[in-house]
Amino acid sequence: MWRVWLLFDPRRALVALFTFLFVLALVIHFILLSTDKFNWLGGHAAPSAAAQHMSTLPAPAQ
Amino acid sequence: MADEKRGSLSGLTETEAKEFHGIFVTSFIIFTVIAIVAHFLVWQWRPWF
Repeated sequence: MWRVWLLFDPRRALVALFTFLFVLALVIHFILLSTDKFNWLGGHAAPSAAAQHMSTLPAPAQ
Repeated sequence: MADEKRGSLSGLTETEAKEFHGIFVTSFIIFTVIAIVAHFLVWQWRPWF
C-alpha cells in the first residue's frame, strides 16, 4: 500500500483529502441541523413520547 | 538505487513513501477511533435506526 505515495504526491493528496473531509463534514452537519430530531441547537425537541403527547394537547377553550 | 536516483512520479523515494505511509496510517486509525466514539455518543443520544 505504501507504494501509492510513489504515485501520488502526499502534499496534494492531503490537501485533497482534508478538503473532501471538511466539505463532507459540513454537508452532514448542515443536513442534521435541518432535521427536527438531530438538531442539537434547540428548536424543536426530540419527538419523544412525552413531548408528542404534550404537543397534541388541544388548545384551551376560550 | 537506480530507482531512488530516477525518482518516482510523486518525487518521493521508497524510504520517504514508507515513512509517510506510517504517519498516514496512524493518523487514519486515530481519526477512525474518534469517529467511532462520536458515533457511539450520538447513538446514545438519539439512535437513528
